[in-house]
Amino acid sequence: MSGSIITCEDVCVAYGRTEVLHKVNLEIPEGIFLPFTGPNGSGKTSLLRAILGLIPIRKGQIHTPFQQNTAGYVPQHKVIDPLFPVSVQQIVGMGLYPKRRRFRPLSSEQRAAVESALAMLDMAEHADKTFRELSGGMKQKVLIARALVSEPDVIIMDEPTSELDEQSEQEVLGHLLKLNRQQGKTVLIAHHDLELMRMLTSSMCQVRHGKASIVPIKNGGEVHA
Amino acid sequence: MHEAMTCLYCQFPEALSAGLLVSAVCALLGVFVILKRAVFIGITLSEVATCGVAASFLLGIPPLAGSLALVLASVSLLAIPFEKQRIPRDTLMGIMFIAASALSILLVSKSGPGLMEVNAVLYGDLILSSQKELYSLLALLVPALLLFLIFLRPILYSFIDREAARVLGIKTWIWESLYFLMLGVVISATSQIAGALLVFCYLVVCPATALILSKRIKWVLLIAPIAGMLATFFGMVISFEHDLPTNQTICIVSCMLFGIAAAVSWIYQKLIPTIQPH
Repeated sequence: MSGSIITCEDVCVAYGRTEVLHKVNLEIPEGIFLPFTGPNGSGKTSLLRAILGLIPIRKGQIHTPFQQNTAGYVPQHKVIDPLFPVSVQQIVGMGLYPKRRRFRPLSSEQRAAVESALAMLDMAEHADKTFRELSGGMKQKVLIARALVSEPDVIIMDEPTSELDEQSEQEVLGHLLKLNRQQGKTVLIAHHDLELMRMLTSSMCQVRHGKASIVPIKNGGEVHA
Repeated sequence: MHEAMTCLYCQFPEALSAGLLVSAVCALLGVFVILKRAVFIGITLSEVATCGVAASFLLGIPPLAGSLALVLASVSLLAIPFEKQRIPRDTLMGIMFIAASALSILLVSKSGPGLMEVNAVLYGDLILSSQKELYSLLALLVPALLLFLIFLRPILYSFIDREAARVLGIKTWIWESLYFLMLGVVISATSQIAGALLVFCYLVVCPATALILSKRIKWVLLIAPIAGMLATFFGMVISFEHDLPTNQTICIVSCMLFGIAAAVSWIYQKLIPTIQPH
């Protein structure tokens, strides 16, 4: 791991008069696998969305490399309207937008990248199906494939495995760990299963009562406060 | 039938050309009206355009200028983020629709020209399209069509998944605004020639026909304008041959095409499992 890739300085986020994040200071090291944990409504999703620039921050500053290199992002909810007549392949291809030339279809390398992202999640045989033809778990895998297809340096996922069965969840988390350990990708992941996350990594970001801090995990699974 | 086709082409070339152009562009833009689940915006903006034309008569300004100004003002109002408002966007559209419909009638009753003349401009009759109107349609619709095709990918991505598009660096508010701006221009330009009902028909029925027939966006974007042009051509021929009102005949032909497409799609879906190998 080297220096910080994302820095939050005194970040405050509010919805109307309700402040959900208050003076959050974080320095997220490059190449870390960092689970975001905390009870429901603690502000995990808000913090990740603020980092991505999807919601305005009331005060403070967030420094990210996303102007130059976009992040891979999997939202908490499946936001694609099933009415859209687009194939799985087209949705995953969307992740390559910053690298595509206007008017041009996907190049052969880009098509191979889409196929590879789908194959990694056992979705290759569903490439021609439309989004509405997929089950909940399959839809989530498509969104994960879209986030990974451009091989981003930072991957941000908000409860990405909530609708996957146990085996698929382990496979997806295994892929993310591999990307982190072998390619040095920074992975930020909001996840509800604290015990599972303790087994995967040595530190986590605790979000509670509008505050967030990165804390190390003991080998035995205890969290250093 | 063949004679009617020939006569139609010889006697009303402007009407035929205007009809084909209006149907193709409206049907193409209408695909996103349906996918965005904003069908009501089509009829609301058509009525607002009609109201703008009525106001133009009273103010003595060109009808196109009046309808364009009012439609663009409405589009700007509808572009306000409604996520945190107490009423949904649909409700505001409903209020605008009621106000525009009622105000059109009130304005007509107070305008100088004869009621028949104003009604003809307000509710449009495609068969009466003039060469001047065809040129003004070409001047507005062709650039709108080109812009739509040039920026199709960011517009599509903004509509498919706004948040993911933003993360990918797409300025979604620009593309969504551009689309609704183009929609506003197209509706205001076409409403006074084709009438609110026919424009609404092109925006909804023809794209729905395409969406019933295909589950691929590129085919939907190709079939919708073709369905619109087919309905326009055959609707005009039938209305010419049987001396029927042109706009309403085209609307009925469009709905019949939708019915045929729905039946074909249903039969195809029922047959597919029996065709597939075991």
